[in-house]
Amino acid sequence: MSARWRLALLQAAAPVLSIAFGGLVASGIIVAIGKNPLDVYGLMLRFSLTRTDSLAAILLKATPLIFAGLAVALAFRAGVWNIGVEGQYYVGAFAAAFVGFSVRGVPAVVHLPLAVAVGGAAGALWAFVPIALKLRRGAHEVITTIMMNYIAAAVVLYLLADVFRDPTQIGTPRVRTPLFADSARLPPLGPALAWLGFDVPAHSALNWFLPVGVVLCAVAAYLLVRTRFGYEVRAVAFNPDAAEAAGISLDRVRFTMFLASGAIAGLVGLSDILGFFGYFDIDFPKGLGFLGISVALLARNHPLGVVPAALLFGLLDRGAQGVQVFAGVPREVITILQAVIILAIVVGYELVTRYVRVQRKLEAERALAPGEPAPLPGSG
Amino acid sequence: MADLVGSLLNLALLASAVRLAVPILLTALGAVYTERGGVFNIGLEGTMIMGTFFGAAATHAVAQALPASQGPLASMLAPLAGMAAAMLAGVLFSLIHALVSVTFRVDQLLSGVALNLLAVGLARFLNILLFGVATQSPGVNGFPPLAIPVLRDIPALAPVATGISPVIPVALALVVAGQWVLLRTTFGLRLRSVGENPHAADTLGIDVARLRYAGVLISGALAGLAGGYLSIEQGRGYLEGMTQGRGFIALAAMIFGNWWPLGALGASALFGYFDALSLRVVAVGVPYQFITVLPHIATILVLAGVVRRATPPAADGIPFTKEEG
Repeated sequence: MSARWRLALLQAAAPVLSIAFGGLVASGIIVAIGKNPLDVYGLMLRFSLTRTDSLAAILLKATPLIFAGLAVALAFRAGVWNIGVEGQYYVGAFAAAFVGFSVRGVPAVVHLPLAVAVGGAAGALWAFVPIALKLRRGAHEVITTIMMNYIAAAVVLYLLADVFRDPTQIGTPRVRTPLFADSARLPPLGPALAWLGFDVPAHSALNWFLPVGVVLCAVAAYLLVRTRFGYEVRAVAFNPDAAEAAGISLDRVRFTMFLASGAIAGLVGLSDILGFFGYFDIDFPKGLGFLGISVALLARNHPLGVVPAALLFGLLDRGAQGVQVFAGVPREVITILQAVIILAIVVGYELVTRYVRVQRKLEAERALAPGEPAPLPGSG
Repeated sequence: MADLVGSLLNLALLASAVRLAVPILLTALGAVYTERGGVFNIGLEGTMIMGTFFGAAATHAVAQALPASQGPLASMLAPLAGMAAAMLAGVLFSLIHALVSVTFRVDQLLSGVALNLLAVGLARFLNILLFGVATQSPGVNGFPPLAIPVLRDIPALAPVATGISPVIPVALALVVAGQWVLLRTTFGLRLRSVGENPHAADTLGIDVARLRYAGVLISGALAGLAGGYLSIEQGRGYLEGMTQGRGFIALAAMIFGNWWPLGALGASALFGYFDALSLRVVAVGVPYQFITVLPHIATILVLAGVVRRATPPAADGIPFTKEEG
């Protein structure tokens, strides 16, 4: 096996080893509460992988995470941080919901794409503020995006509770928008899967946003690898100074990628909102944007890696439900497992990257060695 | 109009603002130490969560172990143990951050994100383990409150002169001490040199990694203390989510205060005031959501240089690698 292949293998092994390390730490916790980790993990895998309702639940849980992970990864790719996916997701979901309940009497072929487009546009708009402030005024995007998350939560809460609350629900504890028109609902994926020979339970909310997310990841991967702009993005990530010296506009690349990230972040909630609930409720799922950071890390910011990473998080989530119900293990153990995996992964990647760099340097030195001019005879 | 002024500036509101400012202030002070040393720590929110949980748990445990309260000294013991446990938890938790970001030189933001996730899971898990439920600890008693002599006898001043948590004067003393440490002590000057130009500091024989560890661990202790104050003094028990993102607001306060302890004090006071105001908006007539986001908007404006130039330490957030110097 050549050195090159050995290094590639090592890089591929890093996420696997990190997951194993996370599993080891979680095992310690499981032992501490008096259970057998092997039993618990076995149960988790059996419960998650051998039941069709579990598989449907994993895919459903993974759908928003694919969008969130892709959003974070695209910004990271251009060397900017988008910690604001959470806020962009709130704003995008609410904007799509607004189209869903306010527009009536248009066919689904118009209504649904409109809702999706408005959701994406709202997410991009929310991302515009931090990136514009970074490029024009040098405001660090990490802090501004975190602040924008809080502002998004407040704005959405205000619009939901004080402006667009379903009037028929006033007087009840439910704070939510009116129901969407049927033309804005995402069609279920069940029939298509049944046609492929995979029967999901009838009540599953699995919808067409799953294949949309997968296709989006594939398109992003293609654009990054095969187009001129993708080349520029990779150049900027690899060496910003060199890219700029070569005539690539850093600001343009970062601006475009950040807005794309925001637009995709605006779509994170649509699978839940348009595909499942049919209204926007004050208790909509939160924290998906932050999970997206974890998904992107696990995927090493590669668009194609986002899909398996999101599926893994979906599996952990479903498995956590299983072990909670059937083994009496609190599902928080799985949250801890996720966090440890992420810590292990960032450390693991860093160590592997450093090792690879040293190996390449040594290789280059070896390659150079024979070419060095031999000392002239008699010159010493 | 007089009504509006009255509702914006009354003593009960100010007293509430001070109480709400303390956890922001302590964590912001911690953030000053870690960032002056050149390490971002967005894990401070998670560190605060650890402080709230361990503070309440230790206070509860000690109160249970002691025979029914005998005198003022015994009633101080439990909250004192709680505060110590909260600080210790904060130090240990931030040790992970120091290890990952200083020793392994991993991107400092990533480690912070992971720590915030870890804290939520850990607090829920431990709470289930110890107290059988996920989100709440049993109630605890805080310190006996203080009152300012003389002023407490004036009825009009009662809201601000009585019922003062002893943590409040301690926090103020820590701010003054922090300003002095950073400006006048060898440790403070070295810490700042490591945050401004680690390579130069390294050349002068300063142990960059050790000072960065010190900065991160101090931030952990202070964020832990802030969490302990929240759960022991304010909440009288741990409740899931009680930090409400104050760890992030504290970062904002640190930026608003331009990376100085006294500046963080001013910013925390302002943010505490907004916080107190948002709880009383019925009197002001503005949706409370808009008042709660004032600190966030202010922070964005400061970062954008609209209010004034933000000047972070030059090497803030950049891992230090000796051989590259």
